This record gives sequence, structure tokens and C-alpha cells, in this order.
Amino acid sequence: MLYKLFLQQCIRSKEVWISLVLITLLGIVGIVIGNKHLQRQQDAIAEVKTYQEQHFDRQVSLHNDDLGLLLYYAKFAYINTLNPLAGLSIGQSDVHPTVKRITIKTFEAQKYDTDLVNPMNLQSGNLDLSFVIIYLFPLLVIVLTFNAVSEETETGTWRLVAIQSKSKLRFIISKLLVRLILLYTILIFLFFIAKLVLNLSMDVQFFWVFGLSMLYILFWFTVSFFIISFKKSSGFNALLLLSVWLVLIILLPAGINAYVTSKYPMPEALSTAIAQRDGYHVKWDTDKRATIEKFYQHYPQFKKYGYPTDGFNWLWYYAMQQMGDDDSKKQQDAFNKKITLRENKSNQIASIIPNMHLQLAFNQLAGTSMSQQLEYLNATDAFHEKLRLFFYPKIFEGKLANTIDWNQLVPEYYKAKTTLKPTKAIAPLMIASIVMILFSIPMIKRL
Amino acid sequence: MQWANIRLFAGHFWRNATALKSFYLLLLIFILLTAYSAVSGIKNHITQNNIRQEHQVKARQSWEANPDKHPHRMAHFGTFAFRIQPTLGIFDYGLESFTGSTVFLEAHRQNSVNFSEATFSTGMLRFGELSLALLLQLVLPLILFFTGFSSVARDKQNGTLKILLSQGATWRELLFGKSIGLFAISLLFFIPILLVVIITLLLFENPEINDFRWLRLFIIGTSYLIFLFMISSITVIVSAISNAPKNALLRLLGIWLLLVILLPKSAQAMGNYWFPTPSKLAFQSAIEKEEIQKGDSHNPNDPHYNHLRDSVFAVHNVTKVTDLPFNYSGFVMREGEKITSALYRKHHAKLVDIYKNQNDVTRFSSFINPFTAIKLVSMTMSGTDFSSYIDFQDKTDDYRYQLSQAMNELQMEYISPKKESGSEGKAHVVGHEHWEDFQDFKHEPIAFTNSMKQAFPALLSILFWAMGTIGLLLFISKRAKAI
Repeated sequence: MLYKLFLQQCIRSKEVWISLVLITLLGIVGIVIGNKHLQRQQDAIAEVKTYQEQHFDRQVSLHNDDLGLLLYYAKFAYINTLNPLAGLSIGQSDVHPTVKRITIKTFEAQKYDTDLVNPMNLQSGNLDLSFVIIYLFPLLVIVLTFNAVSEETETGTWRLVAIQSKSKLRFIISKLLVRLILLYTILIFLFFIAKLVLNLSMDVQFFWVFGLSMLYILFWFTVSFFIISFKKSSGFNALLLLSVWLVLIILLPAGINAYVTSKYPMPEALSTAIAQRDGYHVKWDTDKRATIEKFYQHYPQFKKYGYPTDGFNWLWYYAMQQMGDDDSKKQQDAFNKKITLRENKSNQIASIIPNMHLQLAFNQLAGTSMSQQLEYLNATDAFHEKLRLFFYPKIFEGKLANTIDWNQLVPEYYKAKTTLKPTKAIAPLMIASIVMILFSIPMIKRL
Repeated sequence: MQWANIRLFAGHFWRNATALKSFYLLLLIFILLTAYSAVSGIKNHITQNNIRQEHQVKARQSWEANPDKHPHRMAHFGTFAFRIQPTLGIFDYGLESFTGSTVFLEAHRQNSVNFSEATFSTGMLRFGELSLALLLQLVLPLILFFTGFSSVARDKQNGTLKILLSQGATWRELLFGKSIGLFAISLLFFIPILLVVIITLLLFENPEINDFRWLRLFIIGTSYLIFLFMISSITVIVSAISNAPKNALLRLLGIWLLLVILLPKSAQAMGNYWFPTPSKLAFQSAIEKEEIQKGDSHNPNDPHYNHLRDSVFAVHNVTKVTDLPFNYSGFVMREGEKITSALYRKHHAKLVDIYKNQNDVTRFSSFINPFTAIKLVSMTMSGTDFSSYIDFQDKTDDYRYQLSQAMNELQMEYISPKKESGSEGKAHVVGHEHWEDFQDFKHEPIAFTNSMKQAFPALLSILFWAMGTIGLLLFISKRAKAI
């Protein structure tokens, strides 16, 4: 009975209605945008599948008698299939290509080739459901709760409440609870739509994303609870809550990003690029035998092909290409180490800032995080190695291209692994909420 | 309208606002944020540019260290172009973190610009970047809203407004006075940032580069002044049409959220939706298809090249390529480079047009959103916008083309025509002094006139907004009610 009354009181105002409708609409827009993102990837996969066949046909017809030359041109697709959850949290999958086409030449030179992207799109960021949850739901929490107590004081009903209700605390909590349930209803509705539109499977990851979102909204209620229990005026509450929002959601992440960027600059990326170029190209002018020696150190199994040093030959050529990767190893390792440092530092800091933590956790669950991108690159490296080992002997033996079953060389797929530990994902949000509640207890005693 | 009255209202507003302790706390926090973003901006600018310049030198040294060799090997040895961040990038990072900084330039291959900060980021970057421009575009308006939301609404609520108006003050004087008062307060926040930028420009003074930085800064500064006046007036107007301070604040915050976060994001998303970007594969294979039609130098039976060969034979009255007075494969490569580069440029221009269409939705939204207008003016004038990125891309591709053609010319001229093909070994080489003769890539900043052309619609919309706000002030002063 009481709850029904609270609900009526809450949704009586026009502003509340407008904001509820608005957030639902924005949530749906976010889902549509996410779906478009997934769709674009599906199209690219379909394209690359048919293209690869034609590509090989043409190459074989042009260079049947020269397999080494053919493989100079031939590109093989390796696809990072997106988890449908990537439609909820696009994360880094808009800046990193999810379909890579590589040749068996130096891998390092192809590793970081970007997709076609409009930097303005990247800067404005994606309006996906994760954005709506992380940025906009807290605002709605603020709109719904900032005057939950002060309104009673300002309209003069607080004294009445104080006399009539058994516990003032219970009164406030039930008032907030009604609003929390209202928001949860919207959240459930949005996830239901997302499930249908994005064709999500109801797996563990899906429930993680949903559960973490619920916890996150609860966290904002605890913040609001803390602030409104000071019993200041509505205006003051709104101002303070919005300042908290501004600091947590915009200023802190921006400041931390500036900190991480300047603490870990990435000259290694550029050094790797140069080392890779020199590693290969300089070998054109150095002793052929030395290059082949080095190649055999890496692949002793090919020693049987000997040391052909007269004129141009593919064994020497691909040995040179290999040196692009081998000679830049030191720089590559330094580069990877730097990225991991950045990743660790960000995760560490994010664990005490709920919104950043949630964004990183979402990306991790959806397979669109930075670390998963690195894993995909490592898997691409392994795919590249597999191709090399498959083709090297055939090239060195001077086989004809039509002796290879090209139909078998179809695009291959990679699936990102999620390594989010449940306790690690929940703990920061839980702890943040509990800390807020602990802060609130002394306040409530004074009510 | 009497100036004395306007001055009175402005002064009164100023005294009221600055009497609060919390105001100084806000100012202090803002100045600390200014200091932090200035220091990290400058530090980052220095580190980034040092890294890039160092690597440019390193890449060049290794280019020059090449021994005598076949020029085609040098065409593929290639070189790197590193983007240099403009000095005003310290003020407004713009797209810097999203555009990539490095491109490898070699013969008959257009490589992508790689290694942007966004590709190294863990996704935190998407929350925004703390730059001086962000403080002015996002945080300062909020502070002005907080400071000014009750400017008229409170007088209305406690009845002083009626007294003021009955004593001979006019609405017009009141609104203009309060707007000017709030604008003056905004200067307290704006001037420190301006000073920081001026000092930085003086410190990084580089007489070699003429990038019109002072003129650019002047345009940026003036635009922000107009913008801040607009924000101040809008605050006062909203306060005047609201019957309680609380409502005024809520309305202002709604406006902020809509104009700063939702509208810019949706505009870009809509552009993206209406003008979809092709996939990289579709882009590349379209070029490839046309190349096969036009002439594929890799196909030994290509009709275009066969025809070309025959006509060259006819002109020189020979029957074998080895009898020609120049190296024929150099000639073929020169032709191939010409064809593929033209094709690439055509398709790339189309792609850039798609991007421009996407961005135009944002650009035109600046006519309904002053926040977008100032953002565009700010980053375009700082040289960190989309057009300066494309400008860099075009310049590197021009350089790439010159490099490959210079190497092809060397091949035609110095490599014996008797040598049919092949570019390895020491038999047919060109002296290494030619490598030094070919100048290194030097990144010239985007021309001022170009930036002006890009910023023009946004500048125009700022002017419209300025006139619009004054018009609105006048309009409201006729319609407003004291109760």
C-alpha cells in the first residue's frame, strides 16, 4: 500500500516521466548502434570469404610456376569474431580491425595496420548501451532521488512522517527502494530488447553484464542516500550529486588517462617499426650466407635446403623477411611490456572508481578490451607462423602453385577468451557501495 | 537603457557572487585543474614530439647509411613520416589521440597511419581527455550555470525584483547587467588559461615554422570570449524565465547534458549511420579491380603494358627491351606507380568524402549547438582537427610518390638497359650519394587559410549565436514578468 503511494508520488511529476522515457529511448538507440556495429563486421566477414577464393584463383592463374612470387602477394584472412555482447560494449573493437588479412612476409610490419576509421567518430565515442548505463543511468538516479527527503521538508510533510511512521530510516529506504525498482525495471526491459535485437545468448557473460549493471545502479543509490541523509535543501543535493557525477565520470577518468599516458609514453612502438624495416631491408646488401645461417638458427628443420647464394632465390628472400621479425624482437618485447604496464595501471586505478571499473569489466566480458586485442594479435602471430611453416618447404622445393589445395585455405576464426574473475569483477562495486553505506550510518542516526 | 544602471547591476552581481566562500573554492579547484592539464599537456607535447623527431632522425640515418644499391631496393626500403603535434595542440588535443602518428612510406603501397594513442589505450580514453580546452568547453559552462542560475530567479522569488523594477530599472538593463556581471566572472577562470597558453607559445617560439600561431590564438581567444558571453546570457535568460532558482538550475543542467554530451554524440552517430564507411577489403579490392582493368604491371600478358611496350619500341626503333637507351623495367614501374597512385588517390578522396559527410552532420549541428561550434573552432584553429590529419596524409602520400618516382628515374637513367629485371646483388647499383640527395620528409603544419576555410561554418555559427543571444536578451526583456 505504502509502496504504491510512493510509486504514484514518484512518477507524478512530468520531468520524471520525460527522463524515464528518454533513457529508455536512448537505451534502444544504443542497442541499434551496437547492432549496426555487429552487422558491419558480419558483412566484412562475408565479403572476405568470397573474396579470398577469387583472390587465390587469380594468383594461381598468374603465378602458377612461381610459388614464392605468389606468396609475396597472397593474403590470408584471420577473423576476430565478435561476441554479440560487443554490441552492448563496443569498447576497443571500433579502433582495432576485427578482420585481418596477412601475407607470410614480416609479420611485424602488418601487425598494427589499422582499419578504415574516421577519427571524429572515435573521438565522439560510441553511443552504445554501456554508455547509457555508465553515464546516463546515474543521472537518472540523481533526478529521481535528490529531493526524496528534502521535498518532504520543503512541503512541510516531514514532521507528519516523523510522527506517523515507525522508523524514519525505513521510510526513506522504502522511498528509495521504489525508485530503485523502477530503474531496475527499465534496465531489465533494455536488456530484454538487447537480447532480442543482438541475438544474445543467455550465458554466464550475459548475466555478468546484467548483474554488474544492477550493482552499479545500486552504488549510485548509495551515493545519493549518503548525500540526501544530510537533510539539506533540494538545490544543494542536486548540486552536490551532480558535482560527484562530473568528478567521477568526467574529470577523474580524464585526469587518470592523462596520468597514464604521460607516465608510460610509447616510443617503443616507433622503434619497433624502424627495427623491423631495417631488419629485413638491410639484408639485401649483406652476406647471403649469413642471412640464411640466421634463418636456420631459427628453423633448423630447413637446413636441408642448403645455402643457395647465386642470384636471387626465394629461400634467401623469405629468410630476409623473417629477419624483419627476428631482428626487431627486442623492441617488440619492450613494446608489449609497456602496453601491459599501461593496462595493469589502468585496471589498478579503475578498481577504486566504479564507472571506470564497470567500463573495463564490460569490455572484458564483451571481448573488446585492450588485453584481448593483444591476445588476438598473438593468435594472429601464431596463425602467421602456421602459414609460414606450411608454405616455406613448398616454396623452397620449387613446387607449382596448383599442387596446393587452395580451397582448404579458408579464412580462419578467433574467439576472444574472457578471463574475468567473478570476485574481482564484483568486489570494487560491492566495496564502493558498502563504504557509502557505512558513511551514511552516522547520518541516519541523526535523522 | 542607461549604462550606469547596467554597470550597477553588473557590479552588484559580481560582489554577490564573489562574496561567497564556496566561489573561491570553485575557482581554486578550477585553477588547480588548469595547472594540472597545462603541465600534463606541455609534458606530453614535449615527450611526444621528441620521440617523433628522434625517430625521424633515426629512420633517416639508416636511410642514408645504405650502400650503393639498386634504386628499386631503396624504393622499398622506404622511409617513415612522423606527425609533429602543433604547439596549440597543448591547448586543444582535438583528434591527436585518435589519428595515429606514424606512416611507413614505400613504393606502390599506401600504408595506413598507425600507432594512435587510442590503439594503446585501455578504453579509458573514451571518457575524455583532460585538456585546457575541455575545461573551457565543458567545466566552465557548468560553473557559470552554478554561479548564475539564481541571478534573476531569486530576486523574483523573494520579491526584490518588483521593487527594483518599480524604482525605475528596466528589464533590459537588468538582464544585460547581470549577463555582463557573470561574463566578468567567467573571465576570472578564462584569463589564467589564456595566460598559460600565451606563455607556452612564447616558450615554444619557433621562427622557422610560420603557422600563424598568434593569429590562430587570437581567433580562438575571441571565439571563447563570445562563447562565454553567450553562456552567461543564456544562464541569466533561463534564470529570468524560471519562477524558482531550483527550476532554473535543473533546466540549465538539462541544457548542458543535452548540448555537451547527448547531441554531439548523436550527431556523429547519425552521420556514421547515414554515410557508412566501406570495409577495408571493399576499399582495397575496388582499387585492385580498376587497376586490373587499367593495366596491371604484374600480369605478363597485360594489354595496357603490351601496347605501351610496342609503342616504345616503335619510337626507338628497336625490337628488344635490352636495346632501349634506358632501363625498361624502371620505365614500367614509373608507369605503374602513376596508375596505382592516381587510382588510390581517387578512391581515397572518395573515402575522405564519406568521412566529411559524416562529420558534416556534426559541423551543421553547430548551428543548433554552440558547444559544438566552439569545439570545432577550437580544434580547427589549434591544428588538431580532421582537416589537419587529412592534410598530413596527403602530404605524406605526395612525398611517397616523389620518392618512388625519383627511384624509378634513377633506375631508368643509371641501371644498364641490358639488365632485364632483378634488383639484388652488387652488379647493377646506383651510388649511395643519391640517397642523401633525396630530402627527408618534413612535416609542414596545415596552412592557415585551410584551417580558416574549415572553421568558417563554425565561426559563422558562433557569430549567429552571439547575435541570437543578444536578440534573445532583448526579446525576453520585453516579455518577462516580475512575478
